[in-house]
Amino acid sequence: MTGAAASLGQRAVPPRAAPLALAGRRQAAFARARYRLVIGGMVFTALTAALALRLGDLALLHEPPATGSASALSPKRGDILDRNGVVLARSFEAFGVSVFPQQLVSEPDRLAHQLAAILPERSEERLKSELLHHATYRVLSRRVLPAQAQAINNLGEPAIVLEREPDRLYPNLSLGAHVIGYTEAGKRRAFGRSGLEKVFDEKLSGEATRGTPLVLAMDSRVQQALAAELRASMVKHHAVGAAGVVLDVQTGEVIAMVSLPDFNPNAPGMDYVTPADGSPDNRFNRTTQGMYELGSTFKALTVAMAMDEGIIKSMSQTFDATAPIRIGKFTIDDDKSHRLRKYVNTPEIMVFSSNIGTARLASALGGERQRDYLKRLGFFDPVRVELGEHSRPLYPAISNWGESATMTVGFGHGFAVSPLHLAIAYGAVVNGGILRPATMLKVAPGKAVPGTRIFTAETSAKMNALLRLVVTSGTGRKANTPGYRVGGKTGTSEKVVNGRYVKNARVASFAGAFPMDKPRYVVVAMVDEPKGIPETYGFATAGWVAAPIMGNVVARIAPVLGVAPDVTHDVDMRGILGLVETAGAEHE
Amino acid sequence: MNALSRNDKTAVGRWFWTIDKLLLGLVLLLIGIGILAVAAASPAAAHRYSGSGTSIDELHYLKRQIMWVLAGVPLMLGVSMLSIAWAKRVAIGLTIAFLFALFLVPFFGFETNGAVRWIQLPGFQFQPSEFLKPVFIVTSAWLLSVRFDDKSMPTMQLSFGLLVIVASLLVKQPDIGQTALFAAVWLVQASLAGMSVAIVGGAIAAGAAGLATAYAFVPHVTSRIDRFIQGTGDTYQIDRALDCFKAGGLFGAGPGEGVMKFKLPEAQTDYIFAVIGEEFGAIACIALAVLYLGIVLRVLLQLLDEEEPFVFLAAAGLATQFGLQAAINMSVNLNLMPSKGMTLPFVSHGGSSFLALSMGMGLLLALTRRNRFLKSSPYLGTARA
Repeated sequence: MTGAAASLGQRAVPPRAAPLALAGRRQAAFARARYRLVIGGMVFTALTAALALRLGDLALLHEPPATGSASALSPKRGDILDRNGVVLARSFEAFGVSVFPQQLVSEPDRLAHQLAAILPERSEERLKSELLHHATYRVLSRRVLPAQAQAINNLGEPAIVLEREPDRLYPNLSLGAHVIGYTEAGKRRAFGRSGLEKVFDEKLSGEATRGTPLVLAMDSRVQQALAAELRASMVKHHAVGAAGVVLDVQTGEVIAMVSLPDFNPNAPGMDYVTPADGSPDNRFNRTTQGMYELGSTFKALTVAMAMDEGIIKSMSQTFDATAPIRIGKFTIDDDKSHRLRKYVNTPEIMVFSSNIGTARLASALGGERQRDYLKRLGFFDPVRVELGEHSRPLYPAISNWGESATMTVGFGHGFAVSPLHLAIAYGAVVNGGILRPATMLKVAPGKAVPGTRIFTAETSAKMNALLRLVVTSGTGRKANTPGYRVGGKTGTSEKVVNGRYVKNARVASFAGAFPMDKPRYVVVAMVDEPKGIPETYGFATAGWVAAPIMGNVVARIAPVLGVAPDVTHDVDMRGILGLVETAGAEHE
Repeated sequence: MNALSRNDKTAVGRWFWTIDKLLLGLVLLLIGIGILAVAAASPAAAHRYSGSGTSIDELHYLKRQIMWVLAGVPLMLGVSMLSIAWAKRVAIGLTIAFLFALFLVPFFGFETNGAVRWIQLPGFQFQPSEFLKPVFIVTSAWLLSVRFDDKSMPTMQLSFGLLVIVASLLVKQPDIGQTALFAAVWLVQASLAGMSVAIVGGAIAAGAAGLATAYAFVPHVTSRIDRFIQGTGDTYQIDRALDCFKAGGLFGAGPGEGVMKFKLPEAQTDYIFAVIGEEFGAIACIALAVLYLGIVLRVLLQLLDEEEPFVFLAAAGLATQFGLQAAINMSVNLNLMPSKGMTLPFVSHGGSSFLALSMGMGLLLALTRRNRFLKSSPYLGTARA
């Protein structure tokens, strides 16, 4: 046995004498081994030095990670606020209650009784069976209120644990639901499923951006007023739906956007008003997805085009409306209630909503120029706004866009767009002629998009007077609100279902603006399938249904938006007041 | 003229006068730091591994670590009382036993993270390769030490054959990190035993070739090395570890103030160094690295005047294993090496690892026992001699 000394336990005993030659060998071997050992020690020292350098490098030369302590505490998903900081959507840590039945300390009967008192929606028997369950872990309630969580905590039962899970809360329930959208819990985080929650999903959930809330153009007070008035009208007229938009024409900000029926984003699968009702219909955003023939509201656009193109040279210039126009298989006639059967001037076309007069203007304009305006107004594309819910407008094929199409499109027939399309176009009519893209987000002062000019400033000024005239003397009189200088145009059209017009299924709309002497806000209100009621003498036309909404909404939102009532000011209508023979058309 | 002349003649008394007290003190200090570190990492790991179906107590890992310390320190002290002859016998016997256990792993082991490394014992998961490491090193030292006196004995070949058997069992699991550690320690021992530089160089080349083979044919090795070299793919784990060091700065966020640690994978084991980095800062990390270096150098410097080849090789091998494992773990945490499943000795939480290290350190303490007065090293504590 070599290395003999090792077999002896005592280190102090000197090793047995080895042969001389071996001792020499051992000396040489040890010398080499010690030399290599020193090298090994130096390698370890160098390794440690390298680690120290790397540690110093990380600690001193690198910025602390952006996701520092502040962002670790930031919400899992960013808040959504209205333009004034009102919370529209917020993430918070919700409490859930679970139990480890095997580790129960308290007496189950008594504990179940105490828990049932705190959680009234859970029966005592059910709770007791959970407490006595043979599994190691049971969920008692997925969501409890903070006060309930506190009360459960106070019971002092160690086997019951309160767990925290991120949850999304929409404190205003259905208010602005179509704009805000809703989220759905995913495996790792909540995902936006509609509205702005979907469009800005990345920004709201991204680690770097979620600390900053998303601030909307929406003013929740205006939203609330518009929703309330539309809902009241919808109920009153037994309508199937309603929609409305309030748009700031200087910035393109969507101050309010309502689509009815709506839904509760806290429980998007269920309509909280009528649980039996199919929810997909409630989540349908009529202001951007719904394509409606908006009827006579379109006439204002045709008039503005004709003015811009020099077809209307003066307000007193007249056009032939003595007889219905027969073209192809169509007959274009004015509504029975206000047939003039004479040469009409522009103010009369607007005030009496003359189909024949508008058709003459459209005809003079021609299909090509008409399509050019419509293209620039965005009527051939899905509405451009930060919402995923939109559809393509319905319009005649170019090959089919002959004389008759030009005329009917001129007064809003055979052409379907969304209410937001109409609001954006009206913005360009009243704000001096500039088309501004709509935005759902708040625009910082001075940061409004410059926009593109569609109409001349002169056309816009004349249109403002005409729109005001419709409200003071025409079909829109029920929209008038003392002091707020409301202007606008009514529109009633028959609904197209599966490509066919349906009598008695109408869409009543109003598109207008205020204050008309210096227009700031465009309001579009639309009621889907209103029915005549005794109060309106059986009428369900826009003058009776949509115009009053405009009036009520303006009366409620103008003070909120800082528009002061002033009965001493109004649009300059001197040039047109005398041109309208009879001021009496109640309805289209 | 020997240690027995001290008036206390009991085994404990003899142990007390011969044990390397400085080394023991350094090791106990390290274990204390380990408890602190696991206390810091425990809530992070508990949060991470608690799910909707399980809830882990915040201090679960700390409690278990204290349990391992209470089991491991007596084990270490007990082993350190062995005489050199008995240390050798026990180590060789255990080498056979653990080699057999390692052989059984493919049949009785269970899978975690795509590898079969563990055998489930009642209340305890047992990783044979961890326990095999120290006793294998002692066995290798015994075989290689023969060469100091007689070069004609084929013990180096025998020892190499043993290594090949162990390596093939480990590669099968697969556990490339442990294989590399076994091979590296053996190579150090063999070169101390006089293996020629050419063969050492050849062996390193063969190791590199082996690693290249693993890279080509073992998918998880491929992805780990790709991530390290290209920084592409899923670098989530290492990025979170680096975030911890960056957030900690020089002085750390303070005990319990760490935030980044909650995102760390395996905060209580493989990435505990990053937790220390965030809560106690870079200076504390450097101090910890220096403590490891101190333990290694303390052993190596004492070996300079060692005259017994077996002790020399065994102690050097055990110190190398200890130091190399620490260096690899710290390097991985600092993204200086691709990730490997290797624990930070005495600091990481984990039963198998802690007990195996206790056994290894016990063997090292047993081997370095000497008469502190008669034979104190000329390189250390000369003033006392």
